[in-house]
Amino acid sequence: MPVSFLDTLGEAVTRRLAARSSRRGMLGRMGAAMAVAPAFPLLPVRRADAAPAPTPNPAATLTDFERRAQSTDPTKCTYWRHCAIDGVLCGCCGGGVHTCPPGTEPSPVSWIGTCRNPDDGRSYVIAYRDCCGRNICAAPKSCGCNTADREMPIYRPQASNDIIWCFGTASTAYHCSTAAIIGQAG
Amino acid sequence: MVNWNRKAARRAAMAALLLAPAGLARAAPPVLQAEQSDVATLPAVGAHWVLPATDRDAYTIYDADAGRILGTLPASILGNIALSPDRRTFYVADTIWSRVDHGTRQDLIQEYDAHTLALRREITLPPRALAVYKGQDFDVSPDGRWGYVFDMSPATSVTIVDLSKGAVARTVDIPGCALVFPWKQNGFSSLCGDGSLTNVGYAGGDTPTVTHTAPFFDANNDPIFEQGLVDRATGHALFVSYTGKVYAATLGQKPAIAAPWSIQAAAGQPVAGTGVQEQAWRPGGKQPFAWNRASGHLFVLMHVGTYWTHKTDGTEIWELDPARHALVRRIDLPMPARGIAVSGDAAPLLYATSQDGTMIVIDARTGAVRRTVEAHAQSMIVAPDLPAGNG
Repeated sequence: MPVSFLDTLGEAVTRRLAARSSRRGMLGRMGAAMAVAPAFPLLPVRRADAAPAPTPNPAATLTDFERRAQSTDPTKCTYWRHCAIDGVLCGCCGGGVHTCPPGTEPSPVSWIGTCRNPDDGRSYVIAYRDCCGRNICAAPKSCGCNTADREMPIYRPQASNDIIWCFGTASTAYHCSTAAIIGQAG
Repeated sequence: MVNWNRKAARRAAMAALLLAPAGLARAAPPVLQAEQSDVATLPAVGAHWVLPATDRDAYTIYDADAGRILGTLPASILGNIALSPDRRTFYVADTIWSRVDHGTRQDLIQEYDAHTLALRREITLPPRALAVYKGQDFDVSPDGRWGYVFDMSPATSVTIVDLSKGAVARTVDIPGCALVFPWKQNGFSSLCGDGSLTNVGYAGGDTPTVTHTAPFFDANNDPIFEQGLVDRATGHALFVSYTGKVYAATLGQKPAIAAPWSIQAAAGQPVAGTGVQEQAWRPGGKQPFAWNRASGHLFVLMHVGTYWTHKTDGTEIWELDPARHALVRRIDLPMPARGIAVSGDAAPLLYATSQDGTMIVIDARTGAVRRTVEAHAQSMIVAPDLPAGNG
């Protein structure tokens, strides 16, 4: 019974994908999906990865975050790459926007967001990798962010920012969060 | 005048000295006695007890009527708690490292005696990744027999624990789905990424029965919040979407799901859409919903914002009657809140937690703030769901 359901689901997703997406958009999304694919070894989840993601908004309909986003201070929640980050910024903890603080370890998998750079107006795929292996960083409250552009519930884990992504690290202790660019969004 | 006063004072002092032995003997308080150190115990779990997650290392037990702490249950930053239906046991599902942030990983359910808070038993779980801070990670079946522990590694599964035996019964994979919503008996449902529910029936033995509903919500464009609510006595559930649609369901092997209705429409407000510049009243927060068993009323943390503000703190709590799809009351909060809970009785107290750790206690019948407590509260807050007629 479950197998037939999964087949049905897979077919439905594939058909929807074919009906709705361009080839270039598909490539972009596939790239994004590949970034997190190691995290989801089970077929149904991979198929869900390939499902149409919410597309970046054109400039005319920016989100509140995008309208206020800045590109100069990565230790602030308003920094453009932090459009959907939930946690303490590693830049406030001895690390940087893609650098883990000393003594910690980056999570090999992560979830991804899509954020708009106000400098060039382009949207980029961001990997929100956690730094793990030490207890939570005691940074000022202003370094604790909880933004949610295009953020989804945990049953869409590849777009969910509540998950502590310290999978595959020596310890699951969460220390802080980074926001590394993976590439331009499709 | 001065001289007279001095003389009078001297005479009074002399008289006092003469009378002193008898007077002192009568007025002296008794000598304090030596004390034995003892340990307090708790009365039966009360209707107005509430347990906010506090700091990052405990759930603190409050008597909200008195506004005071009754005791503390240790739990890590991601730990979950549940009260057994007979109110005798608090369960804590947690992951602990032997050397705080490294060493040997221990996944377990801890059983605490609800009268003494003594650690009674620990049930070892198979390795799981406790990865999210949500109440729906862990629950107990309404008959108290089964514990359901959500795992994410990041593949998802649920470990079913036989609480009567203190042993793991089995682990069920729920690919593409997450969290646990217990049925009235012998099973649970989980929310899935395609907008459906997966339903796991298990009453012992080797093989659970797994079914799936058809997709009933749009997970791409209007997903439902993880923090769905379950009335464990009836198996009824309420799920709310980002835009404020309420889906009522009766959970089971074949769940019945009613057509959704809009919170905003029930309140006479414009229905919220998915526009990123569309200002509207919307549900939001980290634990935005609560359900009072006695009235059946739903409480929702609401704020004005655009789509994608589903994690924004609420400035009001809206009380709704799901049976009539009607607004009962809008309650102004003294400060924005990120999590709410409500007691289950007919004179309900509503609890809200704010960013600064304050716990606000509100009389749900009037909307009046009873007290605010400097509670070090995180967003998760648990009001024990006491079965009707049980004590």
